[in-house]
Amino acid sequence: MYRMWLWPRGVARILASRKDCLGWGESANSTTRPLRPQIYSEACLAVENHEQSPFKAIKIVECGAGISAAYGAKMLADLGAEVIKVEPPGGDLSRRRGPFPGHKADPEKSGIFIYLNANKRGVVADLTKPEGRELLGKLLADADVLIHNVAPRDRAAHGLDSTALCAAYPKLIVTAISIFGDTGPYANWRGYELTASNAGGWAFLSPGASPSPELPPLKCFGSQSDFQGGVHAAMLTLAAYLHRLKSGKGQAIDVSEQECIAAMLEMNFMHWTYAKRETSRLGTRLIGPWFIADCADGQIFVVTVEEHQWKALVDLMGNPEWAAEDLFKDRLLRGQNQDALKALMGEWFSTQKVQELYRNAQGRRIPMAPVNTMRDLYDSEHLAERQFFAALEQPGVGTLRLPGRPTQYGRTPWSLRRPAPRLGEHGAEVFCTELGVAPDRFNDLRKAGLA
Amino acid sequence: MADLPLAGIRVLDFTWAWAGPFCTMQLAHLGAEVIRVESAGRPCVTRAIPPFADDIAGPNRAGYFNQYNQGKKSIMLDLSKPEAIDIACQLVKHADVVVNNFAAGVMDKLGLGYNKLRGIKADIIMSEMSGYGQTGPFKAFVGYGPPASAAAGMFFGTGYRGGGAGEIGVSYPDPNAGIFGAFAIVAALTHRALTGEGQYIDQSQLETAVVLMPEGLLEYEMNQREPERNGNRDAVMAPHECYKAAGDDEKWVSIAVGSEPEWRALCQVIGQPALAGDPRFKTAALRKQNEDALDEIITAWTSTRDRWETTRALQAAGVAAFPAMSNRDLAEDAHLNERGYLVRLEHPEVGQRAHAGIPWTMSGTPCAVRSPAPLRGADTEEVLKRLLGITADQVEQLRKTGVLA
Repeated sequence: MYRMWLWPRGVARILASRKDCLGWGESANSTTRPLRPQIYSEACLAVENHEQSPFKAIKIVECGAGISAAYGAKMLADLGAEVIKVEPPGGDLSRRRGPFPGHKADPEKSGIFIYLNANKRGVVADLTKPEGRELLGKLLADADVLIHNVAPRDRAAHGLDSTALCAAYPKLIVTAISIFGDTGPYANWRGYELTASNAGGWAFLSPGASPSPELPPLKCFGSQSDFQGGVHAAMLTLAAYLHRLKSGKGQAIDVSEQECIAAMLEMNFMHWTYAKRETSRLGTRLIGPWFIADCADGQIFVVTVEEHQWKALVDLMGNPEWAAEDLFKDRLLRGQNQDALKALMGEWFSTQKVQELYRNAQGRRIPMAPVNTMRDLYDSEHLAERQFFAALEQPGVGTLRLPGRPTQYGRTPWSLRRPAPRLGEHGAEVFCTELGVAPDRFNDLRKAGLA
Repeated sequence: MADLPLAGIRVLDFTWAWAGPFCTMQLAHLGAEVIRVESAGRPCVTRAIPPFADDIAGPNRAGYFNQYNQGKKSIMLDLSKPEAIDIACQLVKHADVVVNNFAAGVMDKLGLGYNKLRGIKADIIMSEMSGYGQTGPFKAFVGYGPPASAAAGMFFGTGYRGGGAGEIGVSYPDPNAGIFGAFAIVAALTHRALTGEGQYIDQSQLETAVVLMPEGLLEYEMNQREPERNGNRDAVMAPHECYKAAGDDEKWVSIAVGSEPEWRALCQVIGQPALAGDPRFKTAALRKQNEDALDEIITAWTSTRDRWETTRALQAAGVAAFPAMSNRDLAEDAHLNERGYLVRLEHPEVGQRAHAGIPWTMSGTPCAVRSPAPLRGADTEEVLKRLLGITADQVEQLRKTGVLA
């Protein structure tokens, strides 16, 4: 879909000597033919009817803290699976992280908690105590799947040792996410998002083509390594469920965030193993233009890969004289002379309005995109027409527009049907009504702060 | 292989570049037979750009292709010829899943749209992974990975403190679309196993990236404020930074402290136990407030020490620390090697070289990379004979007319 990001020194020379290998040719993306409207109507309009979801049959227990396990379970809950989230007595870590309305911390109003945990029911159990583990046992005896991100070194103390769980519940799918995986020399090391981003090799490459060697490797916005742990976990959980439909057997899954990230480094990893070249955030861009440009009312990311895209851009800019200079004759030269190019292009870009330029450029098949703000995303007519954002009525907070379907399914319903649980909201319902714990016993546990 | 989760599933893979092949590689890892349909006229971009093995260019020597097509088969068809489309349609009869990541509408134009495919096989699962999705005013827009990072708000949110919007180092929306695409296909297979129904999947690269921006979006939704660019710093935790280590510009070590015990352990390890009682740093909130001073103190300690020495000392005390890893660091990492993550299968043209492997283990269905990436068109004859019963003579004839390559 595009070129590499960090071109270590030396690559340009090799490429320049091998023009034949630059023959990326016309991409299928480059068609200029108008596209027919293509809506598989019964297919692609959201089927929001949860009652029809075959995933309703899947019962999931989720424990741990923060993003990875919660997001993995969310992906399945959004398709209809029944998820029970188990929180420690003090509540999930993400309840303390916000964003909060008015920036006032409130564990029942955390934006990230609400996003991750809508569609789930919530109970409290202190897994560090035998009584809490007994409650977990009742949940697991009734479940198909356990998803958690408790670190390997803490698992035994929480009753979450994978081998023991698989022995006790042979049909259970145990999906565990951690920073380094559950074997190997670093299995018991500590880690957070920042750790995974560095350990997986992503931070080392970011922001890319940096002119400032004194500035550190840079983590991407948000919690991307944790999200990747979650998406992988969701995929693997369903793969194991498919296997269980055939074999009747559960199993233990181990997901390493470090390894998820190390598999996503574009061609950077292979630069070492194929050509003994180290790539870095201080590398240079091989091709140009490739930069963030200032416009009159915002910024746009400019890149042209194919020659016809560059020609279309030159035309869009009104064919300035400098564009005919030998310095900018091909994409390699434009890469080498990017500073000059940026200055010259900048004059014209500074007169442009972002959204107008975006449409004009894309209309000519130039793969530009605005540096969108959060507001731009909420205001996007494209996302609106695709009904991307989904409204959730969260008690005590009001209506929130949450990022919605990552994927549109023809048949599998995606729905947002239940607000995120208050801490311990469904304890009595789940443990007493559904799992037969005596109400007196449950009240005792609750008073002792264990449930 | 019989014991793998997707054993018996056949994927007809029209993807190219990065997002699509990354998706179908996951399916191959899980045991599906993935048949990559390569274009005879237009080699995949990843076969044409560096790195090449030992800097000797060639379509089978490209690391980019060989990394993201492990475990697949390759057949080569000239899809501009009606006979090739006919062969593709015949293959659909034997497939469970058809995937592509062309721009919206391209499969229809080729004569391989969903309505056609489901006429051939009623329970087919078809996944279309495009830049902006198959509907909406921007559906025809060109969606490369780096512009998608900008469009999804990732550039806006990323960057050094006080600086402008930053790029993010890799074309993350590509593999991200790939892993979401693989999830969606496994979900559709599950749906089919439970109901007998196939289905159509429309996935937008932009949307799979925007769902990963909730912290920023909800700050805007709740407070009408854009997120602040804050380098490596965290909203709550401090210290939380990538610190300079001894050595050149490429030597850094990340440290993140998320609890009081971790904070006290850090103070011990850096030889300043009194810091734990320092009024500037007594609570997490105070540490966050006085983060500049804190970072200065930690940098003074890390910058004279080897990054691994720092990492081992802190990890031994239960503090999250780790070097910023380069490609070379990853390839030589003891942990990744011991876990069997790095895959070095014998490839006919490039020999044995380390590739990133499977980032998970499954105790009951042990996944493994079963073969290196295919040579271009290596399996054309085998696949057509086995699935379509085409004879050697017919293959020869199709080659002569340019339908196969």
